[in-house]
Amino acid sequence: MTGVTALGLPEARRNEAAALFRARGVPHRRIEQWKYSDLKAALGESGVGAVVATWLVGNLPSGVEVFDLAQKNPPDWVREHFAHPTDNTMSAASLALSSGGVAFRAPKHAVITDPLKVDFTGKGHVRGLLVLEEGAALTLVEGAGLTDFRNVGFEIVLGEGAVLEHVRISPNADDGVLVEEVAVQVAARARYRAHFASFGSKLSRLELEIALEGAGAQAHLSGVSVLDGKRHSDVTTHIVHASGNTNSTQIFKHVAGGQGRAVYQGKVTVAKGANGSDSNQSAKALLLGDAAEADLKPELEIFADDVKCAHGAAVGDLDAESLFYLRARGISEAEARGLLLHAFLEDAVAQIVNTDQRELVRTELLTALKAMA
Amino acid sequence: MLEIKNLHVAIGGKEILKGLTLSIQAGEVHAIMGPNGSGKSTLSYVLAGRAGYDITEGSISYNGEDLAALAPEDRAAKGVFLAMQYPVEIPGVTTMTFLKTALNSQRRKRGETDLDAIGVLKLVRRKAATLNVSEEMLKRALNVGFSGGEKKRLEILQMAIFEPKLAILDETDSGLDIDALKLVAEGVNALRSPERAMLVITHYQRLLDYIVPDRIHVLAGGRIVAEGGKELALELEAKGYEHIVKEPA
Repeated sequence: MTGVTALGLPEARRNEAAALFRARGVPHRRIEQWKYSDLKAALGESGVGAVVATWLVGNLPSGVEVFDLAQKNPPDWVREHFAHPTDNTMSAASLALSSGGVAFRAPKHAVITDPLKVDFTGKGHVRGLLVLEEGAALTLVEGAGLTDFRNVGFEIVLGEGAVLEHVRISPNADDGVLVEEVAVQVAARARYRAHFASFGSKLSRLELEIALEGAGAQAHLSGVSVLDGKRHSDVTTHIVHASGNTNSTQIFKHVAGGQGRAVYQGKVTVAKGANGSDSNQSAKALLLGDAAEADLKPELEIFADDVKCAHGAAVGDLDAESLFYLRARGISEAEARGLLLHAFLEDAVAQIVNTDQRELVRTELLTALKAMA
Repeated sequence: MLEIKNLHVAIGGKEILKGLTLSIQAGEVHAIMGPNGSGKSTLSYVLAGRAGYDITEGSISYNGEDLAALAPEDRAAKGVFLAMQYPVEIPGVTTMTFLKTALNSQRRKRGETDLDAIGVLKLVRRKAATLNVSEEMLKRALNVGFSGGEKKRLEILQMAIFEPKLAILDETDSGLDIDALKLVAEGVNALRSPERAMLVITHYQRLLDYIVPDRIHVLAGGRIVAEGGKELALELEAKGYEHIVKEPA
């Protein structure tokens, strides 16, 4: 029998992850993928450490099963889905360095109406796993506590026809270095909807690796960020259309003022034979000052025929014509700017299906925009 | 109410208005007619306070106040309204939200209290009905997907809601078919009042069949080159601008 760690992880998997992380080290700006987010520089001498971060379940709806990954003897569904091999450096780091985390399961055809609320808190590395079995439906609300460094490795597995709405709000944290990798497997006819609101931190990086693995699988991502001061927010996505007749959309909107920096890197890969795939990505940023920056990089990699892929990116300032129109109707310049900024973000916010969460994101955005004016 | 004296306006160093003088009293409706490039839109924008229009000489006095010294939003609160030739589309802001925000912003600047949501809704609905602005239009994003006629109707609806003292209508007839034109003109005529002055800017005489002005000024080359009563419009229609523009003013 092979050794099993506290995470219920075969020793071999852990060693493999440790070897990968050792070989690559902490990512820095000379690595193409991390060009706009120099993690090594942000962490400085303290590095990634080997502390275990914690998790907190705010609301466990009935029908959802939970397992503490620090416990021994994980159930079969954890053994089956936890710690899929990964090529992601920071995900390997959390596997290698953490012995804590949480796993959830919604069983077959369980349609859960109450949202599942999970916060990752404290400093260090932590793992998450969410399994939605065939036909299950759930809303996951993910929160992030303030700390100086945290690395979350999250795996999400959606069985056939499962539907997940994932909402993640990342608060502004001037001194925080917050990194998270989300790996999502989407089976046939399953839908993954995700919405990310980010208010930035010293360095904030969210990486998504999404595999659309069966016909009819869908991924719909939207995100907004409002960044002031020296705050940074990076969303890096990779959607793989592994199967034909799959669909993905992405809409990201950023507002950066001060020395804020918004990063969006979105890669879509359509695998060989994945014909009939449909993908659309759009990223836009408004810069409210000479020192603000946005780096938007949509990218397509197509190995199949008969696919529909569109992408676009634009960086600009508020439209002078619109601003004049509103002011000529009596609306003060500050209020007119606020209204236009809010309007700019709105089509990304409108993607959130859960009304409570949508309103929450709207309120947080208004507060952040007001603080900026 | 409005006294414009020897107004010179330049855009990016290029002089567009070259000594325009005009006076409008409360209760009067004046029309400004002129060929393309004569400076009609420049006049409307400079009155509303758009950036980039530099007054190099002359003055604009509005109820005794130097209009040029006021920000666009303060002019609006003091009763200046420009119905624009090209109303902008603002995705993400519903028409109703926009109307409510604008109305209450103006009220606050005048030291009045805000109208609550229900009060605004009632007011807007009442005025919207007469201008054939549907409930559905009010729920849509401002001007987004509106036809030319719908956009112009919404401009006039705003005029009805804000009840300005000086209303400037910039090419309100452009892009309208005859039915839409009649509807808009009726809306404007309903707002004629002894307390309100209107300046109707148009290229064509057609609009003036429906909004009959007290006085017509012909603008060409940045100056008023001819003035007269409503019959001047008919003369322009019959003989064209060249005939008038060539005559010494």
